Amino acid sequence: MRKTGQEEVRVLLGNVAIARGIVEAGCHVVTSYPGTPSSEIVPAVVEFKNELGLDTYIEWSANEKVAFDNALAASLTGKRAAVAMKQVGLNVASDSLMSSAYTGVIGGLVIISCDDPGPHSSQTEQDSRFFAMFAKVPAYDPSTPQEAKEMVKEAFELSETFEIPVLLRPTIRVSHAKQSVRLSPLKVLDRPANFEKNPERWAATPKYRLVLHKRLNETLQKIRERFENDTKWNYETGKSRGASLGIITCSVSFVSLMDILEELNLKSAINVLKIGTPYPLPQKRIADFIKRQKRVLIIEETDSVIESQIIDKSKVLGRLTGHIPLEGELDPDGIHNILADVLRELGITNLEKITDSKLDKLVEKLKLQVRKPTLCAGCPERAAFFAIKKALPKAIYASDIGCYTLGLNLKAVDTVLDMGAGITLASGFYQAYHQDKKDIAIVATMGDSTFYHSGTASLLNAVYNNARFILVILDNEITAMTGMQPTPGIGITADGSEGRKIPIKELIKGCGVKWIKTIDPYDIKKLVKLLKEARTYTQRKDGGIAVIIARHPCIIRYPEVCEDNPVKVEITDDCDGCNYCIDYFECPALYINEEKNLVEIDRMFCVDCGVCIDACPKGAIIPIEKQNKARL
Amino acid sequence: MNVQIILAGIGGQGILFSSKVFSELGLKMGLDVMGSETHGMSQRGGSVIAHLKLGKFQSPLIRKGAADILYSFEENETYRTLHFLKSGGICFVNLESADQFNKSIMKFLKEKEITFRAYDATGAASKIGSIRSANIALIGYSAGTGLVPFKYEDLRSVLELVSRKKNLKINLKVLNAGFQEGKLLKT
Ligand code: SF4
Ligand code: SF4
Repeated sequence: MRKTGQEEVRVLLGNVAIARGIVEAGCHVVTSYPGTPSSEIVPAVVEFKNELGLDTYIEWSANEKVAFDNALAASLTGKRAAVAMKQVGLNVASDSLMSSAYTGVIGGLVIISCDDPGPHSSQTEQDSRFFAMFAKVPAYDPSTPQEAKEMVKEAFELSETFEIPVLLRPTIRVSHAKQSVRLSPLKVLDRPANFEKNPERWAATPKYRLVLHKRLNETLQKIRERFENDTKWNYETGKSRGASLGIITCSVSFVSLMDILEELNLKSAINVLKIGTPYPLPQKRIADFIKRQKRVLIIEETDSVIESQIIDKSKVLGRLTGHIPLEGELDPDGIHNILADVLRELGITNLEKITDSKLDKLVEKLKLQVRKPTLCAGCPERAAFFAIKKALPKAIYASDIGCYTLGLNLKAVDTVLDMGAGITLASGFYQAYHQDKKDIAIVATMGDSTFYHSGTASLLNAVYNNARFILVILDNEITAMTGMQPTPGIGITADGSEGRKIPIKELIKGCGVKWIKTIDPYDIKKLVKLLKEARTYTQRKDGGIAVIIARHPCIIRYPEVCEDNPVKVEITDDCDGCNYCIDYFECPALYINEEKNLVEIDRMFCVDCGVCIDACPKGAIIPIEKQNKARL
Repeated sequence: MNVQIILAGIGGQGILFSSKVFSELGLKMGLDVMGSETHGMSQRGGSVIAHLKLGKFQSPLIRKGAADILYSFEENETYRTLHFLKSGGICFVNLESADQFNKSIMKFLKEKEITFRAYDATGAASKIGSIRSANIALIGYSAGTGLVPFKYEDLRSVLELVSRKKNLKINLKVLNAGFQEGKLLKT
C-alpha cells in the first residue's frame, strides 16, 4: 500500500481491482457462483465491505443462472447490481441473459464473465464477447487490472443510461494479473428498492417481444455511436504516416504488443488501434483506421469477434486468413512470432523468430515428467476414488467438475462434461445399456457444491425414469477447487454471516432416493464394503439408485482435522518397490527413491492422514506408534 | 529501475505468498508493479509460476530471455523455467548443493554468464521448525548475497505487513537465517 498525497495505490489482483470498481461504483448487490478465473471477485468485495463499513448485499448463489436472476431483480428495483462468473458459467446463465437484453434493466447491471484462453482451468476456450454479440448486450474488454476497475464503473453508467445489461470480459491474464492500482473514492448511491410494475415490459408476451427487440436494436445503434466517439477505451498509439502496418488489438494482447514494439523499436513502423469496446463495434473508427493503413493485422483473444464484425476485410489479416492460431493463448512470445511472420510476408522487415534455443534442447533431454495436477496429500477424495476403483474395477465412472476431476489420475474418472453431468451421464449410460438388457455397474461422482449447483434436477430425473447406478457424493464441506467458498450445506453465506443450512441428505431424499448412506472415506475398507452393498441394491428387483455421501472435510480448508489427530506413518522393510501405491493411490507425499527402488515419504507434503495404510497391498505402510509398540 | 522476476515451484510451496512479498516490496521501493499468477487447477500440486515486473511495464507476462532474477523452489521447476532468464541474469535454486544440478545445463548457464546459486532453503527452514517457509529462506539468502537490489530491512517490513500473525515470528527468523547464510557467501 502506498499513499501519495490524496491518492492511494495498492497492488491488486485483476479480480480484486474489479471488486474495487464494483465498490467504487456504489453497487448495492453482488452475486456470483465461483469458478476460475473469476472466484476472487466476491471475496474481495466482502473485504472492501468490511474495510469500508458498507452494507453491500453479497451472495454466493447456488449457480450462475440463480446469481444472474438475483442480480437482475435488484436492478429492477433501481439498485446497482453485479454478477460474476467464469465463461462457462455464462452458458448456465445464458437463458436469463438473452431474455434480459430485451426487457432491459433499471439500476445498472454489470455481468463479469472471465475468459480462460489456454485453457488453464476450464472445459472450453469460448469467448464471452461472442455471447455479448449473441445476446445483443454491449461489452467492455479490459487490458489491465487498472483498466478493468475503470471499465466496471463506466459499465454501470452505460447500463443505466441505456437500460441494458452490460458485459465486462476480462481474460485470465487480466483477472490474475497484478498491478499497482490507483484507488478512487466511492460513490454513495441512495437507492431504496422500488420496483415499478410494468407487466408489459417485465412479463412481455412474444408479440411485445418484437417491439422490445426493435427497441434493443435502436439502443445498440446509439451505444455504437457512443463507442465511435469514445477515446478512453478505443484509441490509437502513434500516428505515423509512413507506417507499413496497422494492428487492431484488445485485452491483454494489446499490452503484450506494446511491450514488444517498444523492445524491438518498432513503434514508428506500426500503428496500433486498441479496442476496449468490441461490441457493438465502432465500425467507422475501424474503417477509418484501416483506410489509413496499407495492411491491417487483427490480434485478439480468444476468438475472432472484432475481425468477423469488420465489414470490408480486403486489407485485413487475422485469424480468418490463417495468420493467428485458432486455439490457445496468445502469449507475448507467440505474438512476437505472429508479428515476425506477417512482417516477413509483407516484405517489411526480417524479424528473428523466437525458437527453441539450445537450452530448450538440453532441458528436453532431461525428459522431465509433466507435473500433473493431483489431489492434495490427505485429500478425502483420493481415498474415495481408491475405494471405488477397488470395489468396482469395471464400472463406468461418470464424474464432474471440481478438484475430483483429478480422480482421472486414479483412473476412476471416465467422463467430465460440465457441471451436473456426473449424474445425467450416469443415468443416460444406464438407459442405453438397459435398453439392450445389459446390467453394468455405473458409479457417478459429484462434489457437494456441484450437487447444489445442478444435481437435483439431474437426480430427480434419474429417479423418476427408473435409472439405476451408484452416486457417490464427495462431500468435503466446501467448494475447494475455486478457493474454498462455502456451500449451502454448511450454512454460511458469502460475507460469513449465518445462512440456513440445507443438508445434502435431505435434498437427496427429496429427489426420491431410498438408499442413502453416509461414510467417512478415510476408512477405505468400510467404503469398499459399502460400495459393494450399493451395487447389490442397484441390481435388486425393488432396488434403484444408491447414494453414498462420502463425507470428510477438505484437508486444505480444514487442516486441523489431521493436525489434531495425526496418524504418522512409516514405510517398513516390507516395501518391495512394487509401486502400487504410486500408480494407484498417487499421494504426492509418496515417491520412489530411485537408488533404493523403494517408496519413501516426503514429509514436506505428508499431512499424517494415515490413509495410505490401507493402500499398500504388502502392508508395508504402518502407523509409527504401532511399530513402536511391536518393538517393545 | 526495472526488475523482472520469475518465481517457480510447485503448488503448496508458497509461490503466491512470495509474489505478494515482491509486489509489496516493489511498492515500497517506489516502483510500479505488474505481474501474473497461477490460480485454480494448476495449484493442486502442479507447476506454479508467478511473473513479477517492477518498474515501467505494460504487460503482465515476462518474455523468454527477459527475466533478471529466477527464484526456483524446486530443482525440476528450475529446468522448466530457466528459459525466462536473460544472459547475465541470476538464478537462486532451493537445492542442497550446486553439484546436484545437471552438468550440461550448468555449462550453458556459464556460457550465458548467468549467476547460479544453490541454497538448501528447505533444510534451513526446517531447522527453524517451518519447512513451509523455505521460500522465505531463499529470498532472505538472495538479499544476503548482495546480488539482488533488495534490502533486508525492506523485506523485513514487508513480511510484517503480509505474514499471517501466527507465522510472522517464524517467517522473520527464517528470513534472517537465509540472509546470514547469503552474507557468508559474499565475504
Ligand atoms: S483442495 Fe481439498 S478437496 Fe481439493 S484436492 Fe486438495 S484436499 Fe482435496
Ligand atoms: S499419511 Fe500417507 S496418504 Fe496421508 S499424506 Fe502422508 S503419505 Fe499421503
